Amino acid sequence: MRHDPPPLAEWLLRRFLPLDRQNDVVRGDLLEEFRRRQSRAWYWREALSLLFRGHGYKNMLTLDSLLQDFRFACRSFAKAPSFTALVVLTLALGVGSSTAIFSIVNAVLLRPLPFPESDRLMWISEANSSGAVVSVSWPNFQDLRVRQRSFERIAVSRHSSFTMTGHGQARRVLGRTVTGSFFPTIGVQPALGRSITDADDAPGAEPVAILSHAFWRAQFGEDPGVLGKRLNLGDFQFTIVGVLPAGFRYLRDYDLFTSVGPFTRNPSLNDRGNHQGFVGVGRLRPGVTERAAADELQQIARQLAQEHPATNSGLNTVMSPLQSRLVNEERTTLLVLFGAVGILLLMACVNVANLLIARGASRQHELAVRAALGGRRTRLLMQLLVESTTLAAAGGAIGILLAAGMLRLLLGVAPAETPRLDEVSLDRAALFFAVTAAVVCGIVFGLFPAAQASRASGQPLVIRTRTAGASAQSHRLRRGLLVAEVALALILLAGAGLMVRTLLGLTSLDTGFRPDHLLTMRVELPRGFDDDAKRAAAAGELVARVRELPGVTAAAAGYSMPIDGSSWNSVFAARDKPIPASRDRIPVAAMIPVSPAYFDTLGMRVVRGRVFTAADRAASPPVAVVNETLARTLWPGDDPIGKSLKQGWPERPGTWREVVGVIGDVKFEGLTETTPLQVYMPLAQEPPRDLTILAKTAVPPGSMRASIESAIAGVSPEMTVSAVRTMDEVLSASIARQRMALLVLGVFAAIALVLAVTGLYGLVSHGVTERAHEIGVRMALGAERRDVVALVLRGGLSMTTAGVILGVAGAALLSRGLDGLVFGVDPLDPATFAAVVTGLVTVALAACYLPARRATRIPPAAALRAD
Amino acid sequence: MTSPPYLGEFEQQVLLVVVRLKDAAFGPEIGRELEARAGRRVSRGALYTTFDRLEDKGLLRWHTVPGTEARDGLPRRLYAVTPVGLASLRAARDVVRRLWAGLDARLNDPGRG
Repeated sequence: MRHDPPPLAEWLLRRFLPLDRQNDVVRGDLLEEFRRRQSRAWYWREALSLLFRGHGYKNMLTLDSLLQDFRFACRSFAKAPSFTALVVLTLALGVGSSTAIFSIVNAVLLRPLPFPESDRLMWISEANSSGAVVSVSWPNFQDLRVRQRSFERIAVSRHSSFTMTGHGQARRVLGRTVTGSFFPTIGVQPALGRSITDADDAPGAEPVAILSHAFWRAQFGEDPGVLGKRLNLGDFQFTIVGVLPAGFRYLRDYDLFTSVGPFTRNPSLNDRGNHQGFVGVGRLRPGVTERAAADELQQIARQLAQEHPATNSGLNTVMSPLQSRLVNEERTTLLVLFGAVGILLLMACVNVANLLIARGASRQHELAVRAALGGRRTRLLMQLLVESTTLAAAGGAIGILLAAGMLRLLLGVAPAETPRLDEVSLDRAALFFAVTAAVVCGIVFGLFPAAQASRASGQPLVIRTRTAGASAQSHRLRRGLLVAEVALALILLAGAGLMVRTLLGLTSLDTGFRPDHLLTMRVELPRGFDDDAKRAAAAGELVARVRELPGVTAAAAGYSMPIDGSSWNSVFAARDKPIPASRDRIPVAAMIPVSPAYFDTLGMRVVRGRVFTAADRAASPPVAVVNETLARTLWPGDDPIGKSLKQGWPERPGTWREVVGVIGDVKFEGLTETTPLQVYMPLAQEPPRDLTILAKTAVPPGSMRASIESAIAGVSPEMTVSAVRTMDEVLSASIARQRMALLVLGVFAAIALVLAVTGLYGLVSHGVTERAHEIGVRMALGAERRDVVALVLRGGLSMTTAGVILGVAGAALLSRGLDGLVFGVDPLDPATFAAVVTGLVTVALAACYLPARRATRIPPAAALRAD
Repeated sequence: MTSPPYLGEFEQQVLLVVVRLKDAAFGPEIGRELEARAGRRVSRGALYTTFDRLEDKGLLRWHTVPGTEARDGLPRRLYAVTPVGLASLRAARDVVRRLWAGLDARLNDPGRG
């Protein structure tokens, strides 16, 4: 029987011995000997000794000299601790910050979704003629499903939240309602029990649910007997038929997935004009391109528009890879941060190169001696490379530690809704990135100085003049690198400056309401509040109970609140306006039922007419309050008071409401979005099941949380309270992306500034030392102090100016990348650029002035003697 | 004419084994033969370094021949002593002979009589 040597040892040999005939002989000898001895230990010992000590035929990789260089490098670093610390820290900063950002970018943007062949998964939805995504209507999905040929399967699903009762206290659970094709499409099987199937889509089918692993553990203690049990979720009882594998996650963490069957009977779901939140996911057939699939979907959309013009004209089907759709919003932020961190890493490298060149220049003598004693150029070069790689390794190691810390900080400030944030960790890919970054820094940027310094011949040993040719050359290189550093610093400063302006703008923005001392929360009414009267009464009682609490000065309820936006966006018609010929011209407004005190509690401005009062009851004449944007859009130059409008399609029956007031615009869908058309109506006339409770407090709003929650529980213990936040927190969360960008860019820009300025100081200062003789001569010949200062400053300023010009050009080129992130300020804002340039030049001047002043203090006689 | 290069003891042993093995003078065989005849166990590293040194001195040469199945067909080196190497060996032997001459009786080695 033939024995094979340990595969790993074999691989190492193949990998690290140069592949040539000589080494084939060595490996052959080893193999032959191994088969005779049959000792794996022997083979390992021989292989390792071959690799590390190079005992073999000539020209083998020998690590002996490398080891020697390494020991020498360590000794020389110990002799220059401040230089070493500076280089290592600079590298650590560069590597650490870039690795931290890379970890996030990798987890959120780059790593494939955790589904089999996830690159074939496509997100599918419908969009109206203005391009706004409106979700897929159920009948359209049925047609799409049978007509399409590009996908193996398509499925739709929607976010649903349920109130779960019957298992301890009522609680809100997050669910996703899915069609039977959903799990087969994404390619996931339950770990326990069965999947949801096509049969579960039928209107009469028994409602079934699959639990997430986490929910199964938390709620049922991982009891395998859970299958077949019933869950009371709102209006239906769902039978548990399966449990998903641990770690499974679709878009976000869900407690459970339910079948769509219980809802398909609903007439409003079967209305083709209703888009009720379903979004599609499809798995492309192998070999079908995205382009072809998108074309086919559009073709089907056109067919449907012809067949059902009333509901489908102007409607299009849109598609994009699931992964890119998922991270759409964060892409810009992350790419900007990644770009910024790339710039920082580059600066760290440039700085290190600069330091190494300076050191190389001052070591010319040592290198010259070695060259004179017969050191070959390649050997010297190797020595210098080993030094820079050692520095890089140390910098990389500290950088990785730094990255771990930074990552924790970044995750703390990252917008909470960033998808896949929980997948972020310092994983293998991040470590690989860190090591690569460090090694590339060490080798590429160690190479310049090494090439520079190794040109040393024996000559400088003999003639040690101050202006050796090599030194002048290294100066030119250093000056060039410094210009690059100033330019890069300016780019980061400009980015940070723009984010400062953005954030200042956002925080001082007129939101149209008063956010201070406001506590907000969502309350879901449980089963039993099925008819309008009961819901209206419950809402009234909730508001009254909260209002009575000591510390609360005002309380209100509404379907939604500013900044958060509303999920009830509907077409509407105005009685005095003609019905637009095209469906997609029909106006859409956010519909918001509110209690009478809503506007007052939020501190909103009444522009005309009146707001709601307790007299606006279910039975009283239907009324509405519109926002300024709606009034201006629909009735420009006309008084909206007394006009009538109706929610829903114009040809359908509905309640005409008389407009009784106009209310000031508020920032409704976040600070950066334009205000939509809004129609407010009395809660008593349109009571929803989900409520937002607002409480204005005289005390810090957070402190009222517990008493308000218990007041709500006092109305009904089955009411579930969620998303308890102060309005300040809501505002703050809405600008979390910008804040994170500012924080990161700000920190990076500060580091960049320090790097550039210390680099400038070092270079100018070094120049003064080298030119002490010349300056002495000049002063002896009658140069004034200010001439000397001007001489030195000129040198520093010329570099700064060149850097600023390059930097402004670079920042202008890159500023478009900030488009999605800046708000209320032009990415090319002259004021920001001027401020940044002024700041940078001022700091640079100060950095040059210190050495300049020192230059004027050189006594001419001393300078001349120094020769 | 210059005298052939001086040989160290181990170098001499290696060259002698190569001469002895003739058409079977491959690396592993040389190691084994040294162990068997000279009773010294040599590390592979030391042996190969010596091959390199002898080659540098022009005392040893080699050519590669196709490998056997025992080494997965990887090629092997067949060593041979160069004429200079043979001259060195002869010179070394002559030195030893001259040094030994007339000492047999005094060293009283029964084996050599």
